[in-house]
Amino acid sequence: MAPTAPIEQAYLANRTRLLRFLRARGAGDAAEDLVQELWLRLAAAPDPVAASGIGYMMRAADRLMIDRYRAERQGSLRDRAWSEAQPGLTDNIAPAPDATRIIAARQHVALIEQALTEVGDRAAAMFRRHRIDGVTQRQLADEFGVSLSTVESDLRCAYSKIVAVRGMIDEA
Amino acid sequence: MRPDQPIREQALAWAMLTREPDFADWDGFTAWLEADAEHADAYDAVQFALDEADAALDIMPETEFTLAANDNPPKGWMTTRRAWLGGAIAASLVLALSFIFGFGPQGETLYATAPGETRLIALDDGSTVELGGGSRLAVLDDRAARLEGGQALFTIRHDAADPFVLTAGADRLVDAGTVFDVRLAGKALDLAVAEGAVIVNPEAQALRVDAGERAVRTGERYWVGPIDPQAVGEWTRGRISFEAASLAEIAAELTRATGIVFTAAPSDIRLAGSIALDQVRADPRALEALLGVRVTPRGKGWVIAAE
Repeated sequence: MAPTAPIEQAYLANRTRLLRFLRARGAGDAAEDLVQELWLRLAAAPDPVAASGIGYMMRAADRLMIDRYRAERQGSLRDRAWSEAQPGLTDNIAPAPDATRIIAARQHVALIEQALTEVGDRAAAMFRRHRIDGVTQRQLADEFGVSLSTVESDLRCAYSKIVAVRGMIDEA
Repeated sequence: MRPDQPIREQALAWAMLTREPDFADWDGFTAWLEADAEHADAYDAVQFALDEADAALDIMPETEFTLAANDNPPKGWMTTRRAWLGGAIAASLVLALSFIFGFGPQGETLYATAPGETRLIALDDGSTVELGGGSRLAVLDDRAARLEGGQALFTIRHDAADPFVLTAGADRLVDAGTVFDVRLAGKALDLAVAEGAVIVNPEAQALRVDAGERAVRTGERYWVGPIDPQAVGEWTRGRISFEAASLAEIAAELTRATGIVFTAAPSDIRLAGSIALDQVRADPRALEALLGVRVTPRGKGWVIAAE
């Protein structure tokens, strides 16, 4: 049996669902092309068993659309140099940070730090533990001795500031 | 999702959910997207902003990040936490070193290796044990040992009248003329046999694992499958392989084998691959091409992330 058979079956069984998701994600007329591109990504996944799960496939479809958004932005952004210096999400090999990227990242991180001072110590600490140390929301609730909904609310405040920082950079 | 929230806030709430590795409500997410064409645009913008923030935080060396945190009091909580973690790691290394050769209760000999270190243990009857990095083995006598964690390759002189017995976690492995490799991570046992055979728990499951077979215990279940006998104990020759391994498992194995500290970013992907440790020791970024992951420096260690 060919090693790709189970993943091919899983893909075909869920193709309609994936297409619907891609259309809902804004794929429009390109949905058929994009579902094909998604298949190529799934077929190249290092672990076909894991890639056959619906969660994996939907996540890959979501990532595909995020990458597409990024690629479209890169053609139109005013701060083109900044964007092009970012590692492409489709690139497996991230280039070593060059001086421009480090300076841009330092500025971006400084803005993030500034924004985080506005959300309070607890929310800022949670954001760092979550995004930087990879601690799950449930673990955060235990660590900080608060409810899961408080964690969600704190993190949402922090994330909201992070998104706003991006808006500031785009407008600058 | 409250419908009266502005779209951007709803998009942010969804992005936070889909970024969790165990997110499963893809149908609910699809329904929200289908409700309004603007939803997808808002969601893309949020994801892009969060990706950019991640990328910026990733390429910033940790020291500079904590300096930035100190410039803006209140001081980052992470700073103290990290310092504490660093202390804990240093302390455990000292503990490992001091236990490299010690005598435990009942005359056991304890062997422990630091991450990145391997050690050859010769037993009096001519059998040998090669102990991998970050591993602990208690030798009771020539015919009995206990693996407390990590990995070891056993080359055992067979004696049908007096078989060699290895305790690994909750399991008893009894040799039947054998070269076999055992890896114990928490309660997960991975046994691979190169020569002869091993009987797992003769009093209970009495599972026979022959040369060219591998037995993996997860929870209360045992799974037996084929393995290339040449690949058994390949870590002693500077190579390790993974099959359907999580990033956290890969990071832990690499740390143990190389002594370089690897951690994993949250991800639900599972990877397969074979890695030459020399390449990773020379440059941890070599993993990117070998496994198709992202490897970024953080502090004195490296973070492995998906994609």
